Amino acid sequence: MHFFSQAFNYEHPWSHVVVGMWHKYPNPKCSHVVSIDVLDRTVDPKTGIIRTERVLGCKQKTPGWIVKIFGGSEDAFVREISFIDPTTQNATITSVNLSLSQFATCFERIHYSPAPNNRTSFTQTAEIQARMTLWRTAADGLEKWLVQRFEQNAHLGKLGFTDVLRSLEERHTEAAV
Amino acid sequence: MADSLSPACTPLKQEYDSCFNVWFEGYLEPALSASATDAQRTAHYQRKAEEFQAKCGKVYAEYQNCIQGAVKQKGIEPLLQQAREEHPLREPPPPLPPKDSN
Repeated sequence: MHFFSQAFNYEHPWSHVVVGMWHKYPNPKCSHVVSIDVLDRTVDPKTGIIRTERVLGCKQKTPGWIVKIFGGSEDAFVREISFIDPTTQNATITSVNLSLSQFATCFERIHYSPAPNNRTSFTQTAEIQARMTLWRTAADGLEKWLVQRFEQNAHLGKLGFTDVLRSLEERHTEAAV
Repeated sequence: MADSLSPACTPLKQEYDSCFNVWFEGYLEPALSASATDAQRTAHYQRKAEEFQAKCGKVYAEYQNCIQGAVKQKGIEPLLQQAREEHPLREPPPPLPPKDSN
């Protein structure tokens, strides 16, 4: 597992930053994000919290070895869930990769909250983790296959060698006659 | 405004985004004083939620009609379902541990 984190302040008030969230893309500095779709959005009439589920489409050159081992392509998708709480002035954005997610996950969290002097604090953490359970499943499968193949070969080996020994025995008997 | 993952849905997507953005900018204006009671707050948010539905509900439905099919076509649906099961995220996650920043 790998961790990443950073924190700093934006020189803009929270409300501007949160409005800006919806205008971040397309962005020439982040040209890997090529599409964004809202798949679900609710406004809680009690709390005022807006929850949004989006899918971001990214194009990023994948290293050749990753494509060879894991498959995949240049198109990658990310699921993002955001909560904007206008009362407490908290915005949290959680993202996880959908593509290659059977092998590894990159779980990112971003938090925006007001900071003194009309600024906005930004914190970001990410956890990048290979799916050990799946690796284990694959390893178990490989092991099982190896055991089966070994047992099969051992059995055939026994049969084969028995044949050899029998024919040697027969030749020996014939010679003695 | 970013495109939809399906070019066919992009016009509806952008129309919906514009509608949301206009509503959202008004939403954050401090229409409530800090001393507002819970009842006032609830009434305010209820009104705002209804306003959003009234203004953007129709184009949202049309956009969803388009995009949900495209998501299936692109083969993202099973991955999305898995991600939803692993992290439903129905409620805001607890705040991150405070970090020192200037």
